[in-house]
Amino acid sequence: MYDLGQYIPGESKIHKLEPRVKLIAVIALSMIILRIGKPGIMLLAVSVILLSMIWLARLPLTQVLFSVKPAMLFFLVLFLLYLFFTPGRPLPLFPLGPVLISYEGLTIGIVQIWKFLLLITAASVLTITTNHAALTGGLERLLRPINIFRVSSHDIAILLGLALRFVPTLQQEMRNVRDAQLARGAKLALHRPAEQIRAVSGLAMPLLLNILRRSDELVDAMEARGYQPGRRSYLYEPELTRGEYIVITTLVILTAAIMIYPVV
Amino acid sequence: MQALIQVNNLIYQYTDGAAVLQDINLTINEGEYLALIGPNGCGKTTLIRHFNALLQPSCGDVMVGGFNTRHAKNKMEIRRLAGMIFQNPENQIVGMTVEEDVAFGPANLGYPTAELRRRVDSALGMTGLQGMEKRTPYTLSGGEKQLLAMAGLLAMEPKLIILDEPTASLDLEGRNKVLGLIKDLHARGIAIIYVTHNLEEAALAERVLVMEKGRIIADDSSANVLSRVEWLQSLGLAPPRITELLWTLQQHGLDLPINLFSIETAGQEIISLFQQTRSK
Repeated sequence: MYDLGQYIPGESKIHKLEPRVKLIAVIALSMIILRIGKPGIMLLAVSVILLSMIWLARLPLTQVLFSVKPAMLFFLVLFLLYLFFTPGRPLPLFPLGPVLISYEGLTIGIVQIWKFLLLITAASVLTITTNHAALTGGLERLLRPINIFRVSSHDIAILLGLALRFVPTLQQEMRNVRDAQLARGAKLALHRPAEQIRAVSGLAMPLLLNILRRSDELVDAMEARGYQPGRRSYLYEPELTRGEYIVITTLVILTAAIMIYPVV
Repeated sequence: MQALIQVNNLIYQYTDGAAVLQDINLTINEGEYLALIGPNGCGKTTLIRHFNALLQPSCGDVMVGGFNTRHAKNKMEIRRLAGMIFQNPENQIVGMTVEEDVAFGPANLGYPTAELRRRVDSALGMTGLQGMEKRTPYTLSGGEKQLLAMAGLLAMEPKLIILDEPTASLDLEGRNKVLGLIKDLHARGIAIIYVTHNLEEAALAERVLVMEKGRIIADDSSANVLSRVEWLQSLGLAPPRITELLWTLQQHGLDLPINLFSIETAGQEIISLFQQTRSK
């Protein structure tokens, strides 16, 4: 079982794509998606592009859709809000008493949910086909221009890398704390909200203390290995090829054009 | 031989004035294999943190490779010379892949990509981790994680490696691998400072320092220190089991030396004594 958007190793063209190109493509695609307001050719086009990317990456569609699952409840609530609270021409049979569902509510609801699905899918394709090291490396190189504002892209990359690197460790820690409490007779599967809150705070405190202790040790280890904020060198320093430059330029121009002259 | 670490009249106290280290004078030469032992809270960890400039003395000086740890500008050079390994390997790993983690130290020192690659490959070779370059460190075993932490130091090409109870959380296999690697590194001329509770591991060193209540109370060859069975016990330290056995046999009047720390040598002594008495 894979977690939300977790990296799945592969040998596809999408997997091997330079991470900077992928990052820019996802940002461009997201901007375009957010620009869409009505059902039409753009929504269809973006959907087809994403589907073909999933196909090119040889990802099972179910796997990608699975990453949407945690957001389902949110989508449902959002859809219902659009459905019931958008004024407009009523659907046949409506209004039923005070309840009114309009054509506009239905279409906007569907389009908005569709847009969210596309956004999550786009991000998932990126994270499923790019390992953490490549992703943070790519992000660091993309962010390098901000170094002139005295914000260090290196530090951002280290921060992000450490956060990602410690996710499995902290998950393990969480399980350990919970198991230790279960072993001493704690009841963690509770129904009353007050009891649940008490149980969670019982988990949170030891976990927080462990995290603080770990970060102390981590800081020592990093310092002992000569870490200091600011510039450092990298094991991989890939230059963008001419083809990649062309792709990135095209993406930027295309996105800018769509931003200025939206196609429905 | 040149002094790698020179400690003069080191005193270290907490801000509330409680002294943790007192009157430490010490010289450690290049290529030495030294064990640092003592009961919990005796100041071992505090002392070794001075050797890597993680701590600065309250009084006195610590010189590493001729650099005074007091001056901030020397920090990077000192950290390149003296690497440090902590007890829990999990918390020392920074990189998201094995090779990126090994490259972390030299990358901080700013070496170019080709040099990083050379150092990473050489460090992975020395620690036997080649072939795992792309692995996620999280998926390694405890012993492999500690070897990875050591590879990360070796990539900085240090003259000294300080290890703070590196085997405490490892299984037997991981422990043997780490100890084997330390032996290799010593043979390559890298100085080792090994902090431990385990006197059998301390016996692998050439020289042993004993600390108690912030002072160094013994500094001698490992054979001389570790054969003082009763004295070690009075400090709350467990002498190597073999030494304890030889000492017990000696107490019962058997003519045996006690400064032997391996099963093989001790076994041979006992057998030869046995044969002598039989031939009489």
